[in-house]
Amino acid sequence: MRNLMRKGGRWIYNIFLLLFSMACISPIIWIMYSSVKTKEDFMMDIISLPARIQFKNYYTAFIEGKLYMNFISSTFNTVITVFFVLLFAFTIGYALARCNFKGRNFIYSLFLAGMLTPIYALIVPLFIQLKGLKMDNKFYTLIIPYIAIRLPLAMFLFESFIRTVPLELEEAAYMDGATVWYTMRKIIAPICKPVMSTALILAFLDTWNEFPFALVLVTDDKFRTVPVGLTSFYGQYTTDYTVLMAALVLSALPVIIIYIFFNKKIIQGMTAGAIKG
Amino acid sequence: MKNASVVKINKKTLFLLIAPGLMIYAFVVIVPLFTALGYSLTDWSIGPNKRFIGLKNYVELLKDKVFWTSLKNNLIIVFANVLIQMGIAFFLTVLLSSRHTKMKGFHRTVIFLPVVLSAVVVGYIWQMMYSSDYGILNALLRAVGLENLIMPWLDSPKVVIYAVTVPLIWQYLGVPLIIFMSAVQGISKEIYEVCELDGVSGIQKARYITFPLIFDSIKVAIMLSISSNMLVFTHIYVLTGGGPGTSSMVLAQYAYNTSFVSMKLGYGSAISIGIFAISFVIVILFRKLTEVRKK
Repeated sequence: MRNLMRKGGRWIYNIFLLLFSMACISPIIWIMYSSVKTKEDFMMDIISLPARIQFKNYYTAFIEGKLYMNFISSTFNTVITVFFVLLFAFTIGYALARCNFKGRNFIYSLFLAGMLTPIYALIVPLFIQLKGLKMDNKFYTLIIPYIAIRLPLAMFLFESFIRTVPLELEEAAYMDGATVWYTMRKIIAPICKPVMSTALILAFLDTWNEFPFALVLVTDDKFRTVPVGLTSFYGQYTTDYTVLMAALVLSALPVIIIYIFFNKKIIQGMTAGAIKG
Repeated sequence: MKNASVVKINKKTLFLLIAPGLMIYAFVVIVPLFTALGYSLTDWSIGPNKRFIGLKNYVELLKDKVFWTSLKNNLIIVFANVLIQMGIAFFLTVLLSSRHTKMKGFHRTVIFLPVVLSAVVVGYIWQMMYSSDYGILNALLRAVGLENLIMPWLDSPKVVIYAVTVPLIWQYLGVPLIIFMSAVQGISKEIYEVCELDGVSGIQKARYITFPLIFDSIKVAIMLSISSNMLVFTHIYVLTGGGPGTSSMVLAQYAYNTSFVSMKLGYGSAISIGIFAISFVIVILFRKLTEVRKK
């Protein structure tokens, strides 16, 4: 009897957990299935599942609502940022992990300080600085802060990883007269693949989602990223709920796809970064 | 850090390895830190005129009602997150680390999912859920017969600050959960086995073993929550913009409004520095308090 009760208890709390998890993603699920309803269907019953599925809202949002323009600039910003973050994080991480030079500890603590600073409090002075240099509102404006913000975490990921790599391979290469560049490219970089993919995914997510810098530093429509684009889109389609929902799903889609494939890596990387900061 | 020196690289190469990244970093993070201090001592609005006015901005800041309202709202958000989000996360950690729990990976993945969404998307999702006519929240309340609870969630000055806190608790629940769970994995299984033999109840285990043993991780999670919630901006911007009136105004939104809507860049810089200093003090205070508690 007691055994039976215990089994029942286990069932109950497993079901409770399942319900809780479902409740956690229910807002996302609601937006997703509502986005394939027609506006009329949605307004008649906002809870029910779609009776027929149609993708016209997506067409309206992406083409007519010009969300594709924001996708282009977000993609551009993200690709360039991720590339440079990885490049700089790798070179600086290598130098800090492998060389002893004057100022090494200073540079190290400079980056550590950057992880602890509330970066978004720097928006006002950065805006003034970029405006003064006439570097605001250009196609490259956002890339500059984006690289800088993502750099410390990625750099520490590389640095601590390279530290665990045994030296023998490099020493052999240097003995044979290989240059630093050659050794880094042919020997270290391939070993760093796992940490490179973590850094890449994290930099991608952060850059794709970033809002405050994008809001303040560029005002030109054609340089606006997806999150900022969404805010002006919302102003235009305030009452077209289903179109708005389609726009939300579209802008979250790249992130969700990446998450489905790499969630273990993302969860690990994000918590490692969070605890370090 | 001691035995780091092994590879000998000449100065020029070393410079090339470090300088480009470091320069961008200094340009974005280090320099503005100092210029912000400078601007905060001027009466600069957009335009060429910039007058040095000493600490006048800071004096004004201390008397600024909106600033204190914003700070109060930030603190409400911080407390709600620390109490509710950490509480739920701890409760879930206890449940999820039980060996009778099925589909642990699934729960973890699902609960963490909102963390990766952009704050703008989360803001609009909740905007729609709260919507008076077509929001699912009011529709559900109507469906279960709780019509008297229906209200314009984001338009009522009394409720709005709590209404904007819920999305924050929801979105970042996965962060403390993962931090706690990885800490629990570090606790030796034997402790729990001994407890089970001694007939210790689940609640007692959570209270007297899990909680004290992962207390350091709880501290880390709380600190993270404080520093991110003191700077919360995007969710508020999207959901209410600080309104109605200033009833959901937070510090970052106020700094934004002052600098980029009223275009008072000098005063805006002073607010930014203020945010900086306050979050710093709170984090330090929290560290000190928890250290005392440990003894």
